[in-house]
Amino acid sequence: MDTRLGRILMVEDDPRDVELTLTALEEYNLANEVVVTHDGAEALDYLHCRGEFSTRSGENPAVILLDLKLPKVDGLEVLQQIKSDPKLKVIPVVVLTSSREEKDMVASYQLGVNAYVVKPVDFHEFVNAIRELGVFWAVINVPPPGSARK
Amino acid sequence: MAWSIPQQQSARSISLRYGVALVSVALALAPGLALQHYKLRSVELPLFLFAVAITAWQAGVGPAILSIVLSSLCLDYFFLEPIYSFDFTVADIPRVVVLIAFAALIVWFSSIRRRIERQLRQARDQLQMEVEERTQQASLLNLTHDTIFVRDTSDVITYWNRGAEELYGWTPEQALGKRSHDLLRTVFPAPLDEINAELLRTGRWEGELTHTKADGSWVVVASRWSLRRDQLERPAAIMETNNDITARKHREEEIRGLNHELEKRSTELEATNKELEAFAYSVSHDLRAPLRHMVGYAELLRKKASSVLDDKSQRYMTVILESASRMGHLIDDLLAFSRIGRVETQKTPVNLDQLVKEVLSELRQETGGRDIVWRIGTLPVCHGDRQMLRLVFINLLSNAVKFTRARPRAEIEIGCTHEEKNEVMVFVRDNGAGFDMKYVNKLFGVFQRLHHPDAFEGTGIGLATVQRIIHRHGGTVRADGAVDQGATFYFSVPRL
Repeated sequence: MDTRLGRILMVEDDPRDVELTLTALEEYNLANEVVVTHDGAEALDYLHCRGEFSTRSGENPAVILLDLKLPKVDGLEVLQQIKSDPKLKVIPVVVLTSSREEKDMVASYQLGVNAYVVKPVDFHEFVNAIRELGVFWAVINVPPPGSARK
Repeated sequence: MAWSIPQQQSARSISLRYGVALVSVALALAPGLALQHYKLRSVELPLFLFAVAITAWQAGVGPAILSIVLSSLCLDYFFLEPIYSFDFTVADIPRVVVLIAFAALIVWFSSIRRRIERQLRQARDQLQMEVEERTQQASLLNLTHDTIFVRDTSDVITYWNRGAEELYGWTPEQALGKRSHDLLRTVFPAPLDEINAELLRTGRWEGELTHTKADGSWVVVASRWSLRRDQLERPAAIMETNNDITARKHREEEIRGLNHELEKRSTELEATNKELEAFAYSVSHDLRAPLRHMVGYAELLRKKASSVLDDKSQRYMTVILESASRMGHLIDDLLAFSRIGRVETQKTPVNLDQLVKEVLSELRQETGGRDIVWRIGTLPVCHGDRQMLRLVFINLLSNAVKFTRARPRAEIEIGCTHEEKNEVMVFVRDNGAGFDMKYVNKLFGVFQRLHHPDAFEGTGIGLATVQRIIHRHGGTVRADGAVDQGATFYFSVPRL
């Protein structure tokens, strides 16, 4: 399974959420190829291979897990920039948020998000959700050509 | 109106006029004969001329000619040789000719004079009629409630009606001869030159003016100007008709003020609504995150330390997790409750039968193993927001399921009464724990619970949500029950 694992780009500002998510992924050996960026600007730097990421190999991640409430550049704006960039728009994006607000969901789908997941409060449900996301997008789903694979 | 004088009267006046000729000639003849008797000659000619002159003067041309003929005959008969005969000698011809010529001259002059006199009289009568007519018209203008005045081309007031006096407070005597714009301190809506140009071009002008009254207060008038031109098409006078619209202006001003206030309020409301939305968003996002962390880390801790934790510590852990989970539900329910107040209702025809079936199939997954008798009556189609009404049934039916838990055989009935014409009254009845009617008014309040959480779990928002949704549909909710006797919840929604 590991040999076919795709790279996951996680955009999350809350270190606890990062830790819990990584813990959930670890249980299923999905955490190794997770790249964490802590705000929208950093995520865009990573995707465009600029700033501190200027030396990385230019492959796209297999999936982006995107929080909506982010410092500097917020999630919806990141999503909008990704989906309007011809090189980046092929990357599957999953919004992973605390917000149950309908307007966030509608706005995300209008911008072309591939999935919208509300983080469950219950830890077991949370772990299940993260695991299923990881397995589906990083393992089962065949990503577009040019995506990073381990 | 001579033509309407009776024929008889005109005939009498004709005979009277010719009578004047006869009498005056007779009156001239008498002294002539008397003087002749005393041998005083040549007096008769001027006497006859005198008679002709009087006749011409008094009775007109016709009688004057008659008097000339009579005078000539009398002269010939009584005074020319041979006397007392109409024969006359050639030597007498000059005297007769002189009489006739002189008399004709007098008649001619007299008739000219009479004609001039008649014309003058006619002109005077006409003038008098005109004056009367004008006076009548002016008094008519005085009768109107409108304010009317006339000013000449240099704006000097030449006419001032009663309406003007009543509105502005100046009598005609005070106003006439004054320049109107100075007297009224007119404030124009546009430069006066432009207004005058339009008046000259079209003959009319309309607009709103502000005038100052005699008492110093001001008045807004709807003003109409009409230009009168003389026979040579030169501007002669301007008639200004003004209507007091001060009250209307005040009302307009008031309405504008109220509108402004309304706009301000609605902006404030909008801002409040936005704030509320931002608050709800913040609650949704920011309150749930720490809660998730609490649950997550507690869960991780329990996993890691389960071997070293004793039973008591294990229970503490469970309480922490349950409380956090309960708070999660509270937040979710509260957000759903607040969303009902914020979002627009989207009303369509809703088949309640079908809606109840859907909700039931959802609930049956949670009621496995329980003995529940469902009695479902026929429900009509109503007019409402399907998603919201679904929430109503979910809340009421899951309540019914929850509070009948202690019954070995639960009975839940759903139906509707047909009392009202315009609305549907739906009820949900159960044979569950019921409630004390003493607390019925607390039932629909947010976070109000009539049972201990140990007995029946819940956040206390369900019935508040039901009430809010039904109120947004313009309907009512009520409850009926007794402790251990079950409860019935009624709600009404508009019929289709």
